[in-house]
Amino acid sequence: MDQFSFLISGVSHIDWKMAVMWAIGGLLIWLAVKKDYEPSLLLPMGFGAILVNLPLSGVLGDSGIIQWLFRVGIEASEAMPLLLFVGIGAMIDFGPLLSNPRMLLFGGAAQFGIFFTIVLAVLLGFPMKDAMSAGIIGAADGPTSILVSQALDSSYKGAIAVAAYSYMALVPIIQPMAIRMVTSHKERAIRMPYRPDSVSKTTKILFPIIVTLIAGLIAPDSIALVGFLMFGNLIRECGRLESLSQTAQGPLANLITIFLGITVAFQMRAEAFVKWDTLLIMALGFVAFVFDSVGGVLFAKLMNLFLPKEKKVNPMVGAAGISAFPMSARVIQKMGLAEDNQNHLLMHATGANVAGQIGSVVAGGIILSLAKHMAL
Amino acid sequence: MRWNFLAAFQSVMGPVRGGDISQAFGLMGKGMVGIFIVMLLIYLVIVILNKTTKNSDK
Repeated sequence: MDQFSFLISGVSHIDWKMAVMWAIGGLLIWLAVKKDYEPSLLLPMGFGAILVNLPLSGVLGDSGIIQWLFRVGIEASEAMPLLLFVGIGAMIDFGPLLSNPRMLLFGGAAQFGIFFTIVLAVLLGFPMKDAMSAGIIGAADGPTSILVSQALDSSYKGAIAVAAYSYMALVPIIQPMAIRMVTSHKERAIRMPYRPDSVSKTTKILFPIIVTLIAGLIAPDSIALVGFLMFGNLIRECGRLESLSQTAQGPLANLITIFLGITVAFQMRAEAFVKWDTLLIMALGFVAFVFDSVGGVLFAKLMNLFLPKEKKVNPMVGAAGISAFPMSARVIQKMGLAEDNQNHLLMHATGANVAGQIGSVVAGGIILSLAKHMAL
Repeated sequence: MRWNFLAAFQSVMGPVRGGDISQAFGLMGKGMVGIFIVMLLIYLVIVILNKTTKNSDK
């Protein structure tokens, strides 16, 4: 029998925490396939969670592929999330924002949930770096959440990545609930005619360059995030690099997405993930998303106190300032039509939604800058 | 929650000091102000760009 002990060495090292992670991996795969919840990330993460939690797993260790991908692709310089941002930048059309720039304010206001959650996490007793990492789930942006939690060396990197992508997929459920808590039917039915200003090609080309300069000078730690996002956008808008733009939006984004999900799963090893604090982090992530929407809505209502009747903002557009693009814009459009079937809010919400992309990466950079000042 | 003379209170994940709470609120204030400063600057830039490049495509 000893001659066949090599066949049972894996089985003999199974423990209950690994089985929990297999179940969690299976759940993520089910959510991706059956429910179509962010399948491009949840499926690789789910499968990766199973791979890294098999006993004596060959994907871990000094020569393990997932550990190597994590060391090189995330730990060394957050390369994978940043390269993905090039693709995301190339996908974004800032036109609705450039023609209606006041939507930028909602892109800022809807980051409120990040900081509210940091305060809540501190009140729960989390150390500041973990509180800031939990708060960044509210950026509603996977690469930003991964990058910030990695840079802060949070103890909950895996949970934060899972929470960020899961709640992004749940925006169609979370946002309507949060918005209805703080608005009345009358407010949700406010009409907003869309009369955009025209936007020149020159503006579209200069915009990513100038945003990078501004954000980089005020929050230098945001340069990587903002810079790579805007670099992708510049490739798109310059009009000379169509094939590079298509590559960034397509093959590059897909390639990085395939490996990012499975690499993030390195943080989902049972000993780091199966803890009661992980559940608390997931709950904090939910709070972050809710208060992002609440923050955007309340800011819109504050603005309405100073606006004449014909220029009032539908408060739901404020909630579109979160970075979950384009889901949030579509949710707001749907909610607007439900209140008044002539009230099309899509273009306003899209403007706020792309502003949220900028707001979330700026928030991530500011958090890293503040952490540096606090010597965390 | 238990009171501990070294901390403001003992919370779910560990002790919470008064300094931590004020630090967190300070972070909230600075963070939101910082984001709005950046967004307002970008707003200003967009307005200037839209005004100055209006006819550049013609």
